[in-house]
Amino acid sequence: MRLDYADVQGTILQGYRVDHARHFVLSVVDGAGARSFLRSLVDPASGLPQITTAARWTVKPRSFMNVGITATGLAALGQPLDGFPAAFRRGATDPATARLVGDIGDSAPSRWLDGFADGMRAHLILSLWVHRDIELLEQVSAVLRQAFGESLQELAAQDATALPDNKVHFGYSDNISQPTVQGAPPPKRPLPDRQPVAPTGEFLLGYPNQNRGAVYSVTPTPLSTNSSFAAFRLLEQDVAGFEAWLASAAEQAGIDPELLAAKICGRWRTGVPLVLSPDTATPDPPLAPERINDYDYVSGDPALDDTFGYRCPIGAHMRRTNPRGAQVIAGGSLHRLIRRAMPYGPPYDPGQPDDVPRGLVGWFISADIANAFELIMSQWVNDSAFVRSVRGPDGANPVKNISGQDVLLGVNDPAASSFTLTIPPTATAPWSNRRLTGFGPFVTTRGGAYCYLPSMTALRFISG
Amino acid sequence: MANPLTLVIPLREDIDLSQLQAGLAELLPNIGAAMEAVGTVHYSRVALLDHSSPNLQPKPDSSGPFSFAVITSYDGDFDVYIQDFVTHLGSIYDALLGFSADGAAIVPVADHVEQFTAYLEANDLSKQPPANGFPFYSAYPYTVQQVLANAPS
Repeated sequence: MRLDYADVQGTILQGYRVDHARHFVLSVVDGAGARSFLRSLVDPASGLPQITTAARWTVKPRSFMNVGITATGLAALGQPLDGFPAAFRRGATDPATARLVGDIGDSAPSRWLDGFADGMRAHLILSLWVHRDIELLEQVSAVLRQAFGESLQELAAQDATALPDNKVHFGYSDNISQPTVQGAPPPKRPLPDRQPVAPTGEFLLGYPNQNRGAVYSVTPTPLSTNSSFAAFRLLEQDVAGFEAWLASAAEQAGIDPELLAAKICGRWRTGVPLVLSPDTATPDPPLAPERINDYDYVSGDPALDDTFGYRCPIGAHMRRTNPRGAQVIAGGSLHRLIRRAMPYGPPYDPGQPDDVPRGLVGWFISADIANAFELIMSQWVNDSAFVRSVRGPDGANPVKNISGQDVLLGVNDPAASSFTLTIPPTATAPWSNRRLTGFGPFVTTRGGAYCYLPSMTALRFISG
Repeated sequence: MANPLTLVIPLREDIDLSQLQAGLAELLPNIGAAMEAVGTVHYSRVALLDHSSPNLQPKPDSSGPFSFAVITSYDGDFDVYIQDFVTHLGSIYDALLGFSADGAAIVPVADHVEQFTAYLEANDLSKQPPANGFPFYSAYPYTVQQVLANAPS
């Protein structure tokens, strides 16, 4: 099966390898005018910047642009919503959605930044990316803003800037693990991951998905094939709070803060996974770059098997959000997200603590928001009942070795928060658990939207 | 804490007991393995209700109409895990709904997941009034996996 890359929005199938982004949040003021604007984004004769597709290029574009449309946005553009999935129609600001994914307390949609808080008005998210060319970002933005005219109101524009070495503000190397999608263009630097190739239908409507060849689709038909869905997220990270907690919790646990940082994530901040290097962030000899994602949590090789979380805790961020071959209630490789996110805000300088907002912003893509984003957030990030029983020696069991929520991403009410560190057995002592408690959230949701990512065919249909 | 499912599927009036038994003979042996694969089901049983019988008990020579009941206790949020439920139990429900009076249009359920979710909700006595107000008792507050993890080997 050969995909028509020129019909698919590029960001779904490929990372652009860029270092600046601007996400416009737009509200449709005039439906006809907004349709005309969208039409001009898929019509080279319009002279406006064009939506980037997944079509291969010979010369890398200087800028990239993609668009997501919320349910209220589709309605404002004149599209009926009956043929769209319930989660998308419900939207990110709906109270039921917020409860499900943990957008409560300070993360509640009512407290989101202007532009995101009112789901009835956040209609389009237009994302623009450039590489090392801020001037171009401003030039293209100016052209777009002129084209918004009276038809689209700019509610917000959220910028993002990559940090050196693909780090996030918490100091971890990011963008290492992504699903391999059947039929997608091969990445420039493939990283083997021992996970099954995801059927195309998990990330694009209109193709067989992993559920016995069923097909995710929407109606009317022109809106379906080659389109997708995504949760757009603006996540503020409390770096000072995180670093302070790491220091105190590591002292309490009697371990090095960097080891604790690795334990709560699943990788050392260098990106080296605990499963492959449980004792050091810089193994000697060094881990070959192409091996940095080449592992699983379970293995027939006892030297590499980590069923009980002795190396990478069962409740580590990465193991929760992508359990791979580990035994979990909903198969570990069956709920995947393509992540296209970038840090925002200035780098954190521990020598000069500040209150400047910083975090991560971007797209979390799958063909079924409920089965990927919502399941991951509700069952894996904010709960710990998803682990299956596997009986080991001396009563060891992964079910006993997890508690609370994801330290990095969970709601984490200090009155109930918990993280379990599992200490492996030694010649003289059985395995044991040590629980860290009393920490609050380190991430606060500041914005979000559930978006439909239309194919080029769909964009022409909607805007026609 | 477990939740109840009391699913009642009314069957087509032209289905007789022998047809049903023949159809179920292929299905029922697979239910246990499918429930184990789901991993959140504490107990599951099936029952046949005969609407021509005053006490709903099927008679050997009855021609119905019948309803098929699936009664389980399960952990967590049913809707969130619906795709996994369909993965493991979809073929069984496809066959069951093939006999049903009101569910044939959503077969295969893998292609009609939202409609299947709505069907389960509408046909679940535990979710519909007045039974949704009746008490549900569980002897313990543990999940299936916690029970399995802590049971003596």
